Amino acid sequence: MTTAPHDQTRGDSTPYIEDGASAFLSRNEVASLCMKAARGAGMSWGLAEEAGFAAAWLVQHGINGPSHLYAHLDQAQGRPWSDLCPTVTPGAWQAPVGRALCPIALGATLCDYAGLPESIQAGSSLKIGKVDHPILLIPFLAAIAVSQNILFDIAWAGGAAYLDGGSEALLKAAAALDGQQVPITLTASCGNPQVASAGKLPSISADVISALNTLAMRTTVPSSESSRAGAGSTTSDND
Amino acid sequence: MSPSAHNTTSQIAPFRRPASEVMHLERMGCSHPTRLSFLRTMLRRLHRENWKVDRPVWDVDATGSGHAVYRTRCGERTYSLVAFAHDLPEGMRSDRVIATAWDATFTLFDGEPTQADIDRLRDNVPLQEAGRISTRELTLARANRSVRLFHHVVDALSQGRQPDPAEIADIGYLMRTTAVYGSGKFGAADRSDIADRPELAAPFQVEMLTVWLIRAFTVDIVEHMAVVKGGDRAVRLDRDLRRTLGVGNSTGLGMAPFIVRHPVLLNNWMMAREEALARVRAQASATQPAIAGLRVALDAATQNANVWTSQHPVQVPKLAALRDDLRLLSKTVDTWDFDQPLPWDALWCWSTDALSFEGQEALLSIMLEPHGDLVDDLADCMAADEAPSFRIDGAMRVRDVRAILKENYGWALSIDFSTPENTARFWYVSEEKLEPRLGERANEDGATLEQPLCIARLASELDETLQDHDGEEPVAAVLLAHPEHRYMVRRVQIAQNHPFAEVHDNLIAAAMLPIDLLRCKLSFFGATRFDPRSDRWVRINLFQGAPFPDEIEQEGLQ
Repeated sequence: MTTAPHDQTRGDSTPYIEDGASAFLSRNEVASLCMKAARGAGMSWGLAEEAGFAAAWLVQHGINGPSHLYAHLDQAQGRPWSDLCPTVTPGAWQAPVGRALCPIALGATLCDYAGLPESIQAGSSLKIGKVDHPILLIPFLAAIAVSQNILFDIAWAGGAAYLDGGSEALLKAAAALDGQQVPITLTASCGNPQVASAGKLPSISADVISALNTLAMRTTVPSSESSRAGAGSTTSDND
Repeated sequence: MSPSAHNTTSQIAPFRRPASEVMHLERMGCSHPTRLSFLRTMLRRLHRENWKVDRPVWDVDATGSGHAVYRTRCGERTYSLVAFAHDLPEGMRSDRVIATAWDATFTLFDGEPTQADIDRLRDNVPLQEAGRISTRELTLARANRSVRLFHHVVDALSQGRQPDPAEIADIGYLMRTTAVYGSGKFGAADRSDIADRPELAAPFQVEMLTVWLIRAFTVDIVEHMAVVKGGDRAVRLDRDLRRTLGVGNSTGLGMAPFIVRHPVLLNNWMMAREEALARVRAQASATQPAIAGLRVALDAATQNANVWTSQHPVQVPKLAALRDDLRLLSKTVDTWDFDQPLPWDALWCWSTDALSFEGQEALLSIMLEPHGDLVDDLADCMAADEAPSFRIDGAMRVRDVRAILKENYGWALSIDFSTPENTARFWYVSEEKLEPRLGERANEDGATLEQPLCIARLASELDETLQDHDGEEPVAAVLLAHPEHRYMVRRVQIAQNHPFAEVHDNLIAAAMLPIDLLRCKLSFFGATRFDPRSDRWVRINLFQGAPFPDEIEQEGLQ
């Protein structure tokens, strides 16, 4: 691929953020870039959409979702689904032996199972095997909290956090979960989660944007003469 | 007619067209703009709410380089188009998204820009994709001259005479936009940040406002260049001639995936339009003003069909059919018995036997035209908050998912995907330009990187997988075993409550025409003079015949 300086020929500007710079990405840009990157790292399209949702949700609440997502994708890329998804049984969801669960797969599955007997109910706990970058679970737990009217406590060896929907608890939980790879226990209690206000837009570093772009580019097809020929007008535009 | 005189929902129901009739590409590819189209909605609001439009800054030099600001004020808010004019060498002019320089570049600023804002925008907006804008900006756009018409108009005005109306009619615009980006692209404000403003709640309002103000700029720059060239001899463009100018637009495949990727939005657009048609058909009688309005709209449509030209082998016969249809329709309306019961429905039913799809869809637009009181409120139903339909209901049983598939995707399940013609194409994104393209599966590489726009096949594959699962099983369990179906399960659950969410055709079939998707979407924008330049690339015109900013107070193009 050749990209000449100031080649303004691409459908997004994130490749132009470089040289140690950083940028504020819109939520639409975050969702779109992260969805493509997740797909490039091997997720199914539907799961990649969940990755985009999670990253954009975190950004909206002032947390650097793209950075956390990239950290996860970087270590999980190429692993088969069976290495990443939970085994679902009532009260305990296991991780594959010797592996950490993908937080996007786990989060989406928790949402899918919300209200079903295998999942967590108000007044109960769910033990979950080792989770990679569990900070990425928060958007999914927030969605379940609203749909099921529950509040979550998250506990792990050496730490704990709670989510009541409010910004303060959210930022504390995000700080505590940052960089972890641990088994967790979720405990749900009845309650109406607050509506978290939007956070200060985080600035995303050029390194993270570039790394996500590299993954995203794996979803694209190198050009051929025939594809170029078919893409535009067959007549002159200079009229 | 007051809203209280409207028919009730149950009285209207029999007049609604089903999705199975409406959602085929062959018919969608005959869509015409209507009074519910987004540019019409915007112009009505500007007029109704008495928006003030002016041009506080015009700082353009003798080479045609510089900047201008167009300011629109409504109540508390101000939106400003910041336009940068460039002196572009001929050899660099291309309509492709992949061009690198343009005759003019634009952004719609949320408020009134300060000098510091202008300086920041000057460093970024002319670069388009290679620049960054901020949450203070709502759109990013660029336009190229129609070289032939631009020169002709500048020459004429500079010599103190008006340009040739035939030349203007032939092209219809001084500039055409080659992209108008909104919704958070390049750092701009996200749609959800502005969607709660009443004036921006309907779809694509910031994009339409941008293009409408660009239209004013195109005339101002041509008059400016005429003065540069002719000095005191130069005259301004005649206002009636000016009115016939729109803004051109070149659009390629990039727009086609949009309506596939936004099923709730597509549903809401289609449903609003179809509900409008059903309301008109359901009227027990026809008023004299409505009959007169129908004739005016029919004449306008006939006039538009006469100036609408294309060289494309698909569009040429369609245009001929449209003109024949409009002639027949005109004769029929002249003698139509509007005193019969349900006269509008009778006219509609006549058309379904007598006219081609082009004529039928044109009649839809013509019939809505005199019924603003009856249908204009439907414009408020065309936006979509897509977030609520994102979450999958994992508790839904496999048998219920299959029931939705049977009910809403029967058209897809009946396609045989083992035959080459039904899987002939694949949608992909090019590495080189990051633009969507359509490949031939048999002889192009890259099918393993296919985009999920092959909805019919995905539905078929999901149904096949579900056949092996117990009907009582929750779909959550299926998704845990088959993450590859997550994308389609989400759509199926959306389709359950959004009957117009899907195009009922195979989007990877050998015979599929991408321009049909483009025409449907562009007609909702309000585009006229749809002119394909290939089977996947079109030119259109926006705002032709519409009031200019200095006219909007008097008339709103109702």
